[in-house]
Amino acid sequence: MKSKYSEIKNIFIDSVDSQSYVELDSMRYNYQLLLESLDKPLKMILLFGRPGTGKSMTLNKLYESLKHKREIHYFDAPILSEKEFLKSIYEAMSGQSIPQNMRVNFDGLLKYCQRMKGKREVVFLLDECQLYSEALMEKIRLLSDTRVVKFVITLHKTENEDVIAKEHFKTRIWEVIELSNATEEDLELYIQKKLIQKGFVEVANSISKRDIKFIHTHTQGNFRETNKFLYTIFNIYEYYDKHQPQKIDPHRFSKKILEMAAIKLGYIND
Amino acid sequence: MINIKELEKRWYKYKAKSLTQFLSILAMVILLPYFLYYIYSNRDILMGTPQKEIIQPVAPKIEKKVEKKDLNSTTVETTSKVIIKEKPAKTEELLLSPTIPILDIEEERSEPTKKVHKKATHHTSKKLIPAKQSGALTAKELAVIAGKDLSHEHKKINFTRSSANYKEVMEEKFRVNKHPREALLLAKAYYKEGDYKQAEEWALKANQLDGSLDESWLLFAKSKVKLGKKQEALKILVAYYKKSRSSKAKGLIEKIKEGSV
Repeated sequence: MKSKYSEIKNIFIDSVDSQSYVELDSMRYNYQLLLESLDKPLKMILLFGRPGTGKSMTLNKLYESLKHKREIHYFDAPILSEKEFLKSIYEAMSGQSIPQNMRVNFDGLLKYCQRMKGKREVVFLLDECQLYSEALMEKIRLLSDTRVVKFVITLHKTENEDVIAKEHFKTRIWEVIELSNATEEDLELYIQKKLIQKGFVEVANSISKRDIKFIHTHTQGNFRETNKFLYTIFNIYEYYDKHQPQKIDPHRFSKKILEMAAIKLGYIND
Repeated sequence: MINIKELEKRWYKYKAKSLTQFLSILAMVILLPYFLYYIYSNRDILMGTPQKEIIQPVAPKIEKKVEKKDLNSTTVETTSKVIIKEKPAKTEELLLSPTIPILDIEEERSEPTKKVHKKATHHTSKKLIPAKQSGALTAKELAVIAGKDLSHEHKKINFTRSSANYKEVMEEKFRVNKHPREALLLAKAYYKEGDYKQAEEWALKANQLDGSLDESWLLFAKSKVKLGKKQEALKILVAYYKKSRSSKAKGLIEKIKEGSV
């Protein structure tokens, strides 16, 4: 017999699927800011924040929303090889495939972009840019200078973030959007919406404010951590549902399971 | 796959730990008012009494009693009755001090003391007094310095307790040597005169210098009673009794309770 909790736990599998995007007030504001920035004559837009704050999800949502409206390309995984990166840029812009034994000449690519100045504006969404080399970042900068190619890049907020900003983007990025962890209220909305979207209204209603507070305390409102926490919670629920159903109350969120999940993930020490 | 059995064990352990912590905090919360009350009541006592915690050895207590047998005879026999409790080395200095009166003979007699009797014969002829440790001069020395006959001067030595300038002399002496004994004697003098405020102050000073002086505690408490602070006096005495187990303190507590002080 399949437990309903098997389905619920899968809702919280961490993914950047735009279908699972949950619109919160803070996210809506940042997303709107991003859309407006794309219409401005900016060369680069930096989207940054700590891991799990929804950067990739926002980028994916942006791509899904605009892919039929403007020339936009999304590189969800960083292309670390310079040869592959230039090849991908050229192929995206020209719509032609480059044979495996051939490589794109950077000067040639720059000239190609310059020839299209005023005629086209191509947007590239680059995720996880902290992984790109400095040399490659320099080439991205030069490409954005042509004003034909616009980059929206995401960066993890790290200790070196200032260095990165100074070195590569100080004079070029005109818009910096910072994403932060969710507040307790946002987190409650996030969990409720995720469950309700999939039709688990009863489960959503069984989660009290105290439970949300407990989750928020241990995840700091980080979406990735919250997903992980809830996945573990419903994983334990699934076990009890299958083996000891008398131990769970479908109308009340179990504090014991909440604490067991926190112990499992190391949020609290036994 | 999560090992639920193992996880449950860890959860029970966690709950036990949380419960222990909760109970510890609860115990602290319950005990806190008692602790604060204890601190508060002790503070009350300390405000009116010396801060010294360590009971120091009892300071030397010496009294001199001069008995004049025949003041008209050419030879004056002076019997000095020296009562020494501790530190006989200091006896000479205190014995020679001309300003020490006999304040409360009855009280002193009741205490177990070690008595040393000295008998000395003085001739009428003028004699130089040998140099000694103390800077204080005896009546005999003063007579020699003044060039008077000692036999006649003996009549004039006034050892009465009601000496008008006695307190001034004692206060001056206390100012110089800061000895608790002087403070205690002053407290006694003021108490006898009925100046209980002063008596209280001087007893407090004696206490501050030597917290182990039984008499200073008793006198302090008695002065408080006379000043109408009976409850305060009782608190102080009870605290002192707990520390010292003094029978005198106990007796005084009972007296104060009966209202016979």
